Amino acid sequence: MKGEVLDGAALRMAPADTVATALEDLPAGRRLSVEGRSVELSEAVAFGHKFALRAIEEGEEITKYGYVIGRATEPIAPGDWVHVHNVESTRGRGDLRAHGGETA
Amino acid sequence: MGRMETPPTFTGYRRENGRIGVRNHVAVVPTSVAASSVATRLASDAVARARATPHQMGTSQPEATRRQTERTLAGIGRNPNVGAALVVELGTEDVDAGALADRIAGTGKAVETLTVREVGGTSGALDRGATALERLNAEAESARREEADASELVFGVECGGSDATSGIAANPAVGEACDRLVEHGGTACFSETPEFIGAEHVLAERCVEDEVRERLLDRVDRRERLADLMGTDIRGAQPSPGNQEGGLTTIEEKSLGAISKGGTSPVRGMVDYAEDLPVGGGLVLMDTPGYDVESVVGKVAGGAQVIAFTTGRGSTTGNPIAPVIKVTGNPKTYERMANNMDVNASTVIDGESLETVGGRVYEKLLAVADGTPTEAERRRLEEFAVNEITPIELAELEARG
Amino acid sequence: MSRRASEPAAAGDEVGDERTFAGYDRGDRGTGVRNRVLVLPSVICSHVVADRIADRVPEAVSASHDHGCAQIGADNEQTRRTFLGLGANPNVAGTVVVGLGCEVLQSDEVAADMADRGVPVRELSIQGVGGTDECVERGVDLARELVDDARASERATADPGDLTLGVVASDLRDSTVGTADPLVGELVSSVVEAGGRVLLAGTERFTAHPDAALDATARGAREGMAALLEAHRDRPARATRVRAEALDYGFDDLARQWDGLRIEEVVRYGDPATLDDGVALVDAPARFEEAATGLAAAGASLVVHVTGEGVPAGHPLVPVLKVSGDPETVAALPDDIDVDATTTGPQALADRVLAVADGEPSRAEVHGLTEFAITRVGPSM
Repeated sequence: MKGEVLDGAALRMAPADTVATALEDLPAGRRLSVEGRSVELSEAVAFGHKFALRAIEEGEEITKYGYVIGRATEPIAPGDWVHVHNVESTRGRGDLRAHGGETA
Repeated sequence: MGRMETPPTFTGYRRENGRIGVRNHVAVVPTSVAASSVATRLASDAVARARATPHQMGTSQPEATRRQTERTLAGIGRNPNVGAALVVELGTEDVDAGALADRIAGTGKAVETLTVREVGGTSGALDRGATALERLNAEAESARREEADASELVFGVECGGSDATSGIAANPAVGEACDRLVEHGGTACFSETPEFIGAEHVLAERCVEDEVRERLLDRVDRRERLADLMGTDIRGAQPSPGNQEGGLTTIEEKSLGAISKGGTSPVRGMVDYAEDLPVGGGLVLMDTPGYDVESVVGKVAGGAQVIAFTTGRGSTTGNPIAPVIKVTGNPKTYERMANNMDVNASTVIDGESLETVGGRVYEKLLAVADGTPTEAERRRLEEFAVNEITPIELAELEARG
Repeated sequence: MSRRASEPAAAGDEVGDERTFAGYDRGDRGTGVRNRVLVLPSVICSHVVADRIADRVPEAVSASHDHGCAQIGADNEQTRRTFLGLGANPNVAGTVVVGLGCEVLQSDEVAADMADRGVPVRELSIQGVGGTDECVERGVDLARELVDDARASERATADPGDLTLGVVASDLRDSTVGTADPLVGELVSSVVEAGGRVLLAGTERFTAHPDAALDATARGAREGMAALLEAHRDRPARATRVRAEALDYGFDDLARQWDGLRIEEVVRYGDPATLDDGVALVDAPARFEEAATGLAAAGASLVVHVTGEGVPAGHPLVPVLKVSGDPETVAALPDDIDVDATTTGPQALADRVLAVADGEPSRAEVHGLTEFAITRVGPSM
């Protein structure tokens, strides 16, 4: 995993990733240079949290580490904060329904 | 870094069976909890080289449980970091100290046994044991120091006390070191099976053979079933609220972050708890619980000479037989707990590339192999526990056939 | 006084109320026979720090264990309860709780719970103070504070009625059931007659004979006994061999360990016993390290360990008297066994118990090797 630091402020783990992880608390309006484009954060993104590097459609899979980490539950614009409010797991909840298990 | 590069070297202890150790301990191994306190006292009173491995396994265990206990203790004694060993028993255990000693001695090292009941009890055991340790220490001193290269290293990696930095800094950095070691012909091993859940399909894709893939998925399923029996749904409970506050959104993300500590190599094999790890085996998984102390012991019993342990919040645990390198990606942890940390991976946050940080982890691995003590070693911070196959697990294993 | 279910004890074998010992009055917590400061790691990761603190402070003992991490649900809850019980043990003058910082069972919460119970307590965590070196130094300071306070504890004259005696047999050899247990049973009777309490550990005898177990239980405790039997019915035993061997004996034989007295209370592992006098059963397996911890958490100040095998280890919180009915074992471990049940009578056993209560060290206290463990409800995750 080589990882790529974007504009000194965020980390994209793998080249094909559609999200990057903030390396510091980033304010709304912060612009980052990503592959010659500019991505502007539409809201504040805290350290350790993710934002979209490009538009992600509702239902589209989200990639980090080069693999699918979830699915968008609504349309996501570039620079949007990506977290539990607009992402669902593809491995978790489906399995939960199948198992019918209860949370500890 | 090209494939034609010769692997880096270090100076270790060449054992009779050809394996290379990075330390030269005299292990004091009790066969049960009834002999553990004697083992601990013997080691602490004796020369600096003695290292006790106390644990809480009973004198009488169900067969499958006993086999795992024996395999673990034998593996610890056989680890190439051990120059000589003393096996201590009360004398009533199902585990036979003589048989265990034979298994350890099969590597060519000096091994003795001590039976508390046969030497007049506790005080006799402390006397005789002290004398035995002097003899074993002399044997260990005669070990041959020799240059070896990275291809002879079996590197175990662990994560504990994870936080938001683990999956983006410390783990990928250690993963980078694993990739380099594998490229140089060595073995990297990670475990903690419950943490594969959510990313097991990714690991499965990377398995080189069907047999490995099937075993992986079977072991993951087993651990998940075990959690079910305890009333926990791992998938539903992860990431925890604390994890989510830190930025982890899904179990896939968390687990991908966890497995990144093993790097990106193909998965060449999967072994069970405390089973032998191959030398020159590439990336190999071991089925262990997530419980750090038991998981580390499993890998050391499998032959790992060095452990790297990533920790966001600052776990301070070590191991008596293998040096444990602490790597943290959290700058506060590195600062506050500087005396317990070995590698600062939080520089990723400042923009240092993972490649560079990973390189530092790899360099640390080689330095430690060459004799540099870790912070845990300098403080003799050692934890040891054997994973006990409990009756509930036995019943579950039997049910699975 | 409890009603007997079987034969009366032999005449003249009483602990008697003219025999006294110098104990420590801990108020609600009962009468202790030692005055220790406990350094309790709340998780395995802090055990070395706890050991180091205790090594540097005389009168402090550490209780190191393999737990606290990767435990969930009921397992975690049991560990938490047990910590509380240990802090409240009457031999403990005060407790220093040492945590790591990232574990589920937080050291500050454990300490707060102990304080609620009236236990003098201090707390710190490795991550909180910035590393193990610092934690040892600060921990030593805190332990010394508690030791200074403990030195002020006055000894009060106590009698056998003030004793809470723990009893466990970790095997079911013939020598244990046939020789050692009956001797201990006499002791149990005399303590109870004097108004004291006896706590038993080792549920296997009961779960192997559920009907007889219920019959042997006083009405007020029957619900608790039934619940225990039910819980264990679906759960494979932790002490598998003892559980299997318990089937080879009749319940009446096994009950000689407590002289067939009624079980007045059934106590959950980690909880304190609440009965005023009589015999209670603590839900603990017949594994010495775990049983002794369960007994200590329940309030036992002294433990009698019946061991055919000759397990020599003591326990950090309670003096342990080793009793064996196995001549080979006694011969093999002459300095580790306190009482040879083949040659010792009930009066001599009672005398020895009182002497240890009064401050004489047990054999295990002389060699100083101890073991400590907390019963797990489930496997590591």
